[in-house]
Amino acid sequence: MHGRLACRLVKEITTGEKGQLQPFNDELLNEVTKECSENFLVLQSLIRKMQDEGLDFQTTRNADHYGALINHLSLIRNKRCLMAYVYNRAEIIQNLVWKVGLRLFELPEEIQEKLSHSEKEYFNRHSAALESYMSKMDLDLNVDMVPPKDPYIKVRVLDDVGEGIVVSDKAANFARHSMHFLKRTDAEPYISRGLMEELTG
Amino acid sequence: MFNDCIIIYSIFGGCSQVEEGAKVELPFWLAQELYLRQAVSINVPACFNQKTRREIQADAANVDLRSRCPYFYEFGCKIAPLVGDRTIGKMLLSTFQMRYKDILTKAHTVAYAMASKFLTVLTKEETNLYEAAQLSMATFKKWRIGGPRFQRASVLGRKRKPIE
Repeated sequence: MHGRLACRLVKEITTGEKGQLQPFNDELLNEVTKECSENFLVLQSLIRKMQDEGLDFQTTRNADHYGALINHLSLIRNKRCLMAYVYNRAEIIQNLVWKVGLRLFELPEEIQEKLSHSEKEYFNRHSAALESYMSKMDLDLNVDMVPPKDPYIKVRVLDDVGEGIVVSDKAANFARHSMHFLKRTDAEPYISRGLMEELTG
Repeated sequence: MFNDCIIIYSIFGGCSQVEEGAKVELPFWLAQELYLRQAVSINVPACFNQKTRREIQADAANVDLRSRCPYFYEFGCKIAPLVGDRTIGKMLLSTFQMRYKDILTKAHTVAYAMASKFLTVLTKEETNLYEAAQLSMATFKKWRIGGPRFQRASVLGRKRKPIE
């Protein structure tokens, strides 16, 4: 049926929680693309048929005309759905670059798995563009937009961060559940990735 | 507006072979385009029929609009000029006015267990309103109590339970 698969594809964006990625649905995407080509073939053959019958395609309003029209509209609809799917995911990927980290390997594994190959490339290029802009401006745009009251904060490590991490030229041992007093800008990337939490009061 | 089907009289052919004067259900995106090309005429969709209207007049807040059409208002706004029914607009407005207050009140008062039942009758638009109301209240409470401002990025989703 015209556009039914594409509808399912678009609905995938709205299932699950808002603004979060679902695994990239390669299979369905290919099926919709296939439907597009089928629509195009039917459209072409109908136009050819009308031309063979010597009818003017611009003015004739017969069954073949409407058949071609419906295939044309379905093709446009499918394309629109495909674009919507890819576009909405690209928005989330940009959000990941800004909010979580500039490096793909810094993302949690379960997120990385949900990206398709070209989406990973998009991530890398977007972060490269952002990075080159920030280095030109000499400005870090990834930090919290509200100025902190205190440049240092107290944090607790929530997960295994890994050893040998150097913050502000000091090596620190971030064992799980240990507490640290860190420079806010050093801690922020770990907090946004959910590896540390800020302690207050 | 993905799945909303409406009944139309159609005269198109091609692969589907529909007779002139036949009634078929088409998705809105297709019906709209065909209507603009004067290939079809559109009937008022079932979700705006007299039965629904009577139910709304009786008790708007408890009508299950989601099962009738998950985008009741948006769809109504789009379909109204096509079917030439001037009463749809008024009906949508009065329905929304009656339900709006109820949604906002419930967003702040209803306990979670009760809410899940109440949420099933809301359209997508109303669910968004409900969530916005709850979010603003939660943000206000957080602001009043204080606490860490900077937190795990919401784009990552909820934290998994750590595997011990």
